[in-house]
Amino acid sequence: MLATSKKYLSVVYFITITLFIIGCGGIQKDKNKPANYSLYVLAKDGKNYLMQDATLDSGVLKPEAEGISLDTLRMGRSLIIRNHSYYYLNSKTSQFTKYNVSGGTLKILASLSLRNFTIENYNWLQGDTLLLTGLNLPGYNQPEFVMVSTTDMKVIKRGNLALPAPSGKFVTMSIGFTEKRPNSLLIGYTYHASQGIYNFGTSDTLYVSELQYPAMKLTSTAKDNRSTYPGGQNTVQSCTFLDEKGDYYFISCPGIALGNRPELPSGIFRIKKGETAPDRNYFFNISASSIHNHVYGMWWLGADKVIVRTERRDLFKGLNDHYKTAHFEYHVLNLQTKAIQKLNLPLDKGTRKQCVIVQGNTVYIAISSAKDGNYIWNYKVSDHTLKRGLKLTDDTDFILRIDTLGK
Amino acid sequence: MSVNKELLERYHLDACSVEECREIEEWLFNNEANDFKLSDGTDKNRLKAEMWNDIQSVFPENNKVVKTRSSIYYMWKGAIAASLFFALTGTLAYLAIPQSAAIVNLNNNSAAQVKQVNSAGYTVSVAPNTRASINNEMHVIDLNGSILISAEKDVELLLQGTGKKVNFKKGQTYIILKNRDGADEMIMVNKENLLDLPPVMQRQINTHFDI
Repeated sequence: MLATSKKYLSVVYFITITLFIIGCGGIQKDKNKPANYSLYVLAKDGKNYLMQDATLDSGVLKPEAEGISLDTLRMGRSLIIRNHSYYYLNSKTSQFTKYNVSGGTLKILASLSLRNFTIENYNWLQGDTLLLTGLNLPGYNQPEFVMVSTTDMKVIKRGNLALPAPSGKFVTMSIGFTEKRPNSLLIGYTYHASQGIYNFGTSDTLYVSELQYPAMKLTSTAKDNRSTYPGGQNTVQSCTFLDEKGDYYFISCPGIALGNRPELPSGIFRIKKGETAPDRNYFFNISASSIHNHVYGMWWLGADKVIVRTERRDLFKGLNDHYKTAHFEYHVLNLQTKAIQKLNLPLDKGTRKQCVIVQGNTVYIAISSAKDGNYIWNYKVSDHTLKRGLKLTDDTDFILRIDTLGK
Repeated sequence: MSVNKELLERYHLDACSVEECREIEEWLFNNEANDFKLSDGTDKNRLKAEMWNDIQSVFPENNKVVKTRSSIYYMWKGAIAASLFFALTGTLAYLAIPQSAAIVNLNNNSAAQVKQVNSAGYTVSVAPNTRASINNEMHVIDLNGSILISAEKDVELLLQGTGKKVNFKKGQTYIILKNRDGADEMIMVNKENLLDLPPVMQRQINTHFDI
């Protein structure tokens, strides 16, 4: 009798140990897999979580359990990510910090002081040099640039950009893109008038200036009143690209949550290689197309194709619910034929998100929907097919970023 | 000669001799004097009892036994009386004076300074030129201006003039902008979603509230 129960106990003991090893082994295995992707999530508990994963094709991630809580670390989502490092400027503390994720925690690698500056755009130059363009604090009325060596986290140079300062009723400006050419910079921007805390006005014109590089002296300024609010903050969302021919494309978004001139059209502009002003013969007018709405983001698929993220004016009430009502759609556009193909995805929420990764024929799209949960969708460009990939559990409120961790 | 009863009587009647008076006086004022001696050897205690009986016969007939109260009784009596007094005063005051505790006044008449209010479970930064108040009893918030607000508990308030309810989750911070009445005339954003407002508006909010 005793011998039998002893036998049972040993079996139970053996099974428990085995399960324990398998369980722990599983976690160990995942930690050893290379992290290829980064995900930044705002959860329903109000906290921001950072996660990394080897794949976006499958699996389940639970932010509150598996994510690194960013609540106390004050790292927002306007990030620059490259080669497994995250760069973030906290304008309040004036610290520009380089982080990485190691052993499941966020680690500060280095930090430098960058006072009275806010980033509008970034560009990677040769080596590991980062060119930041932005505005002064607290005035937001003097364009500036900062060149940073990211290997030793030191400021190489800082100075003013010789763009025309805001004047008259215009008190501030938005710098929408900075395109680096061998000997010059092309900078797109517009001006704003303040209307107290509740509202603001925007010029009906967009501007593109050429500056000598590295002297930063103004050589020309072009005006275009076909639309306004060119580009956007590329630390938050992509809205420009340079194609294989050397032509530069950017969106304009006068929608209520960006340029706030909703009566003006949204569209895609082009600056041809070697030219310094928007092409007068090219304007893909999204508002006038079958989409008939403002475009908030654009990602290049290669050749003449892009994916755009557009709002649905009939589904939200105003600025109060623009970011939390699920109303965003995705479309594949052919920039030359102007063909439009809608992607059959659930309506997405969140005004601006870095939510698309293009890897050859595969496009990952992060959707935070109202009724269909939070998934990374996998789109195949060649055959226009979609399927669900990695799932994020229901404690997720918004997937704010998906990024690759490589160069 | 020792002092005795007859001697004391003659002393009180002023009928004693000089020598006798002197002895009595000596006895009266001398603490070390011997105890009073009874001349005929009568039992002192029996005499004491006889004297007491004489005295007692003079007392009133109805000498009821009065219970003595303890000090604790008197303490509680006083405490209860005081409590009733304060309760009565408090109730009268409560009824007579407007109920200010239920209403949180957030008005900021300054043209440039942000006003901080920490009251009734709310932490609020009130922007310049803002009129606002929270009625905790009616669960209503009245606002003309802008505030940054955080509540200690989950709470739902009706935003006056919009017909809409605003929900505060415990411990989270919200920005509410409203300068007009109307169903769609308000912007309320969780501080975590600030980046989803137009960048130009974010800058104004950051500058205003020093976020």
